[in-house]
Amino acid sequence: MTKQHAYLFDATRCIDCRACMIACSVENNVEMGESYIWLSGAGVMGEYPDLKRASMPYHCMHCLEPDCESACPVGAWHKREDGPVVYDASKCIGCRYCMNACPFQVPHFDWNKGIIEGAFIRKCTMCTQRLEVGQVPACVHTCPTNALVFGERADLIAEAHARIAAHPDRYINHVYGEFENGGTSYLILSHVPFTELGLPEMPETPVNAVSEAVMEGTIPFALAWGTVLSGVAIGINQMNKKKTPSSPALPPRGEGSNPPLPPVEGSGVRENGTEATK
Amino acid sequence: MTTLSRRDFLKMGGAAAAALAVGQFVPPSVAQAALATGQVNAQGDGEIATMCEMCVWRCGVLAKVRGGKVVKLDGNPDHPHSNGKLCPRGQAGLATTYDPDRVLSPLVRVGKRGEGKFREASWEEALDIVAWNMLEIKKKYGPEAMVFSSTHNLSQVQFENLLQAYGSPNYGTQRSLCFNAMIVANLMTYGMEEPGRSYEGVKYIILTGRNLAEAISNSETGTLIDAIDRGAKLVYIDPRFTKTAGKAAEWLPIRPGTDLALHLAFINVIISEKRYNAEFVAQYTTGFDELAASIGQYTPEWAAEKTGIPAETIRRIAQEFSDAAPNALAHNGWRTSNFVNSFQTERAITILNALVGNWGVTHLPAGGEESGALGKPPQPGYPRISALRLDGVPWKYPFVPLKLGVFQELRDNILKDDPYQAHGWFISRQNPAQSIPDRRKTLQAFAKMDFIATVDVIMNDTSWFSDVVLPEASYLERYDPLMPMGAKAFIRQPVIEPQGQAKSALWIFKQLGERLGLGDYFQYADEEDYLNQQLAPTGVSLEEVRAKGYAELPEGEAEVYKWNTPSGKIEIKSSTLEKAGFAAIPTWEEPPAPKSGEFYLLTGKDARQTQFATHNNLLLKKYDDEPRIWMNAKTASENGLVDDDLVEVTSEVGKIKVHLEVTQAIRPDCVYMTPGFGHLSMGLTTAYGLGASDSDLHISYTDPISGGQALSQTFVTVRKA
Amino acid sequence: MKLRINLHPALRLPPITWVLIPLMAIGFTVAMVRFALGIGPISNLNNTYGWGFWISFDLFTGVAISSGGFIMAGLVYILQIKEFKPLLRPSVLTAFLGYLMVAIALLVDLGHPERIWYMMVYWNHTSVLLEIGICVMSYLTVLAIEFAPVVFEGLKWEKPAHLIHKFIMPFVILGVVLSTLHQSSLGSLLLIESTKLHPLWWTPILPVMFFTSALSIGLSMIILESSLSARYFQRGLETHLLEKLARAIPYTAGTYLLLKLADLAFTGELGLLFTSGKMSLLFWAEILIGCITPIIMFSIKKVRQSPNGLLAGAVITLLGMILNRFNVSWFGIARLNDPGYAPSLVEMSISVAIFSAGILAFGLAAKYLPLFEAEEHAPATGD
Ligand SMILES: Nc1nc2c(c(=O)[nH]1)N[C@H]1C(S)=C(S)[C@@H](COP(=O)(O)OP(=O)(O)OC[C@H]3O[C@@H](n4cnc5c(=O)[nH]c(N)nc54)[C@H](O)[C@@H]3O)O[C@H]1N2
Ligand SMILES: Nc1nc2c(c(=O)[nH]1)N[C@H]1C(S)=C(S)[C@@H](COP(=O)(O)OP(=O)(O)OC[C@H]3O[C@@H](n4cnc5c(=O)[nH]c(N)nc54)[C@H](O)[C@@H]3O)O[C@H]1N2
Ligand code: SF4
Ligand code: SF4
Ligand code: SF4
Ligand code: SF4
Ligand code: SF4
Ligand SMILES: [Mo]
Repeated sequence: MTKQHAYLFDATRCIDCRACMIACSVENNVEMGESYIWLSGAGVMGEYPDLKRASMPYHCMHCLEPDCESACPVGAWHKREDGPVVYDASKCIGCRYCMNACPFQVPHFDWNKGIIEGAFIRKCTMCTQRLEVGQVPACVHTCPTNALVFGERADLIAEAHARIAAHPDRYINHVYGEFENGGTSYLILSHVPFTELGLPEMPETPVNAVSEAVMEGTIPFALAWGTVLSGVAIGINQMNKKKTPSSPALPPRGEGSNPPLPPVEGSGVRENGTEATK
Repeated sequence: MTTLSRRDFLKMGGAAAAALAVGQFVPPSVAQAALATGQVNAQGDGEIATMCEMCVWRCGVLAKVRGGKVVKLDGNPDHPHSNGKLCPRGQAGLATTYDPDRVLSPLVRVGKRGEGKFREASWEEALDIVAWNMLEIKKKYGPEAMVFSSTHNLSQVQFENLLQAYGSPNYGTQRSLCFNAMIVANLMTYGMEEPGRSYEGVKYIILTGRNLAEAISNSETGTLIDAIDRGAKLVYIDPRFTKTAGKAAEWLPIRPGTDLALHLAFINVIISEKRYNAEFVAQYTTGFDELAASIGQYTPEWAAEKTGIPAETIRRIAQEFSDAAPNALAHNGWRTSNFVNSFQTERAITILNALVGNWGVTHLPAGGEESGALGKPPQPGYPRISALRLDGVPWKYPFVPLKLGVFQELRDNILKDDPYQAHGWFISRQNPAQSIPDRRKTLQAFAKMDFIATVDVIMNDTSWFSDVVLPEASYLERYDPLMPMGAKAFIRQPVIEPQGQAKSALWIFKQLGERLGLGDYFQYADEEDYLNQQLAPTGVSLEEVRAKGYAELPEGEAEVYKWNTPSGKIEIKSSTLEKAGFAAIPTWEEPPAPKSGEFYLLTGKDARQTQFATHNNLLLKKYDDEPRIWMNAKTASENGLVDDDLVEVTSEVGKIKVHLEVTQAIRPDCVYMTPGFGHLSMGLTTAYGLGASDSDLHISYTDPISGGQALSQTFVTVRKA
Repeated sequence: MKLRINLHPALRLPPITWVLIPLMAIGFTVAMVRFALGIGPISNLNNTYGWGFWISFDLFTGVAISSGGFIMAGLVYILQIKEFKPLLRPSVLTAFLGYLMVAIALLVDLGHPERIWYMMVYWNHTSVLLEIGICVMSYLTVLAIEFAPVVFEGLKWEKPAHLIHKFIMPFVILGVVLSTLHQSSLGSLLLIESTKLHPLWWTPILPVMFFTSALSIGLSMIILESSLSARYFQRGLETHLLEKLARAIPYTAGTYLLLKLADLAFTGELGLLFTSGKMSLLFWAEILIGCITPIIMFSIKKVRQSPNGLLAGAVITLLGMILNRFNVSWFGIARLNDPGYAPSLVEMSISVAIFSAGILAFGLAAKYLPLFEAEEHAPATGD
């Protein structure tokens, strides 16, 4: 089986140096105004002198059941078997639904590009170009404190639980991303509540579950609805024909008091007698 | 200068290096050389091992090159300073090399000094101008009228060679602004500049203002986090809740300048409760009895009043520390230039470690920067120097080693012509316009000079006030002498061709030496020849070193229990200090404190910047915080100030305007500024206009023993601008 | 009200044209800048607010207010309530123009407008947006077919008009199916924002809510558009017909309200009605304006029978339900590290321009096409 890559981030080890972010910019030639990875979290918490610090580098979670992938009308997103959720710019129409769909607010858009240059979606790629040559992603590779590590998802989950078990006093007893949104490939350990790291509270069911279910019902519904409407139309037509074969039937809920007039084209006679001018 | 779209700087690079008319050698084609050693393929793609120079830690780098451009830097796993990692500055090194503001041609001033008007010149002409002026000054006023200054770097041996051959005693280094207190204290106590620290198996760590999470020393920072992860307890002492404080089990927001009191009280508890390692103390130290006799006054209760840290806490930490010994480590700090009593603080920390017997476990003898295993080019003897040094070493500061010096005093004495007048200043890889406190005075000193020449990579503030700027090739474009570390000597080698006309320091110093008639002192044909001469005794070829990134050296066995002090032991009582009439055992000295309404002005590193050097780096700027002055939230609201207010900060010597950062992370009686902003040079288009300079506010105070500047001993008022 | 003034040959353009044309010119210029330099320079949209005013107004509101077309088509053709025929053509035109405006707005909003057709090629079957895209494009075609006879009549091409007339039924049914789908799918579009959309609005039955509210909106739009046409094109107001449509609104709005309350009660979130601060206020505003007021107003016969009452009631219903569209697609969505967003005037100028173009197009159609033609063949009761 292919290795399902993932990251494990340990907030207790992160010193907020942002080497990971710079590494990403260089490795992926990210423009000055853009970033695939950014600082998240409260920073300093509490009141002097009872203080805490916490922050994390925030980037794509590489969800196991990505909402960006589910939402994109043209299928520009794709969860690879080896972990990364990748984007195919050649398909993208720039609708930005993926940005709205992503519960982690990850994809960015080229706001300052016209149609000639082409405006695309930007997000962390898991450095697939590095994975291909057997290197870990640039952000992970450079992290001076090993706050970020990389490996097989299952191994990292085990590692994360082992860290919690070894220091239950140090960590919140939860591995964020193990189950969130159906599981993600970015796993996070923390000493402060995850919301303090800027992470959203997430259910275990991927947020795309309901819309995907609805979408599954769409075609059957459309067919059924079309059949019903045709039936109704035909039925009413028949009824009307039966009732007054010479003239159109009264609408079922109609007032009934108005004698229907035959639809004569171009009669031009108005009920009140005024001649319509043409 | 080149105008480049800021966005595209990464796409640029490797502007074809023009061969130069001047000099004996033309730089070898980097790609060709790398191809020969198999580091790159025929397309010029590959990875070349070299060393980072974004700060003085010098991590190993693997530079990824693509067709003559360097596209990514990764940490070299073979290098003990990087362990495969690079800090943010190391990662951003490309943006320094490809800085659109790089100086890529020798420049000669045409406007008024400080106006920033330069014309491009050939190397031939620029070097001739520098040499002519230096000779002129020597002729008219003697060699001592020429000041040389440089901050530690790998080519510094040749810088020192130049200055000694020229015959000037006046050598300015960054050290008195940085670590003089620590080095001199170590010399007095251990007879060595700085013992090595080992975090292996450490259980208890006290960091006194050593902000390792932000003032990064890559490998040490990583090791510290590993140690904490393994369960070591970190006690962090700093008036600020830094990122290191965020990793500590305990943060002691000490009143600035009272670290000495705290450590004296630690020692008091350890001695009075007999918690010291009696065996170790008896066998390896001198002066314990004198210390024991005088320490009684420094009770935790006494220290609590000085430091603001509760007596019970002090007592408990002393107990925990001694319990953990010898797996305990009280860190000396690095930039220990905080107060005039910092030297005594350093002594106290050193002694604290000795008392509990940490030696041999967390503290070890360290190898020096030079290795006997490497060769060097032959050199004639230097001329004898009779003139006094302007910085008062040793006539005023007898304990300050010559190569440390007292830079702020040098600057002050230039202004005072004491004991004589200086006329020229040759600066390399240094930014005294910002690093010396009281910037106004430094600019006045510049103004007094007949001639200033600077070797730098960008138009920093010092270059801006220079008459000639000599562009050095960046660290990714040049060779430097090998750097020995333990059993290896690491190489810095070019991974791309030097851009524009940039040249290595080895080349520049040799060229200058020749024009000064000192050619005999520079007996190397070119950089490769220099390295070959270094490697000669080892039998390793340069090709091999280039391909591997280092040369293996025969390792000398270091003796652990040996100290180069007069007594040969760890000197708790310093015989040297005693002879000179200074306090021979650490003794409390009351530091000055701010008046009511004033704040301590603190300074300290930011993980994204190095000193005064990197603010023009686009990648660092991209991820750095806005440079604002920190103030405690409660203090701010008491003073009617809110976040982001523009405030006027005034000290005895200067006044600046800067935006306020309201934070919980600082003592209510302190404010803090990241150093290095507030540039004067408009040649730094990215950095110019960002923040303000704390050097504008700093007052120069010199510790009389170590010569260290007291950077936290400036008091300021803050009001809404 | 029965007074009719000859539309022809009054060639004089109404004064409003001179307001509309400059507005269109401004929007057009802005759109050109957008195509040249990107969306950023002309809008306040950002990475947190990837969708803003355009989507809420042009798409969500635009589609909703075009729902009169399928309602009328359904009433007239499927339920064969022929008396509504006079309202059919203007409704179909309103819908056609509405969708056209949506499409044009989307071309401005899309990063790659030139790739719009990719939707027809690369199908991601889990994407609600794909469904909407396909429905809207197809429905636009259906509307074109439904409206074509009017154009042909205007051109006096009797034959093709007849032909289309003959085969109109399958298209009408297709149109109603497509409309049902995308009107409700617009709600489904937000299903994926379950963690961001405030629970006052997020519910798995969002599509049903959208469809129900689209009915109120569609009915109100027909009333509004007829009332305004009557005023501006000086044609008779079919008050008796509108009265009948208005009578349905309390049912559609009531259904919406009941569903909403039942849904909140079912999930045990009724408390949110009072505990969510600004969100509760927005919700109440939407319900009070878009449901409760119309239910009350349109339950009163006098109101229904008065042209002003009809107009006022329709406008109120629309405001409330459009607020709903803004709530669900913008105001009610919580964003991580929200930097805030207020649309810029420049950004809105595009929507204004497109809207102006729509009004102008309607005016021109009213002027040059037999838009109110069917009226002649329809019976009317006195009012
Ligand atoms: N990112 C980065 N890393 C660097 C450097 C850099 O420029 N940037 N420079 C390198 C160099 S040259 C050096 S010397 C080292 C310096 O590294 P450090 O020795 O850690 O020095 P600083 O960061 O200058 O200051 C450390 C702390 O001292 C605190 N402080 C100020 N006054 C007092 C006091 O009276 N008592 C106590 N306990 N604390 C006080 C300040 O609040 C600050 O947080 O960093 C090295 N590493
Ligand atoms: N206010 C305040 N003052 C301080 C400190 C503080 O924290 N706050 N810290 C003190 C400390 S610890 C120190 S060590 C000193 C440092 O003081 P300095 O050494 O004076 O300052 P740096 O910024 O390190 O200067 C380095 C210069 O070298 C240039 N440079 C960079 N790379 C190269 C290269 O490859 N070749 C050449 N030729 N030049 C290069 C840079 O552009 C920069 O101009 O400052 C001290 N002063
Ligand atoms: S975090 Fe967002 S962008 Fe990344 S895979 Fe998940 S849904 Fe897609
Ligand atoms: S913006 Fe591109 S990638 Fe995102 S949903 Fe739309 S088409 Fe797909
Ligand atoms: S994995 Fe690669 S692309 Fe993603 S944040 Fe890390 S460095 Fe950037
Ligand atoms: S490089 Fe590592 S320590 Fe630094 S900010 Fe990133 S994750 Fe944290
Ligand atoms: S610590 Fe950072 S800046 Fe200093 S040498 Fe290492 S990587 Fe370079
Ligand atoms: Mo330093």
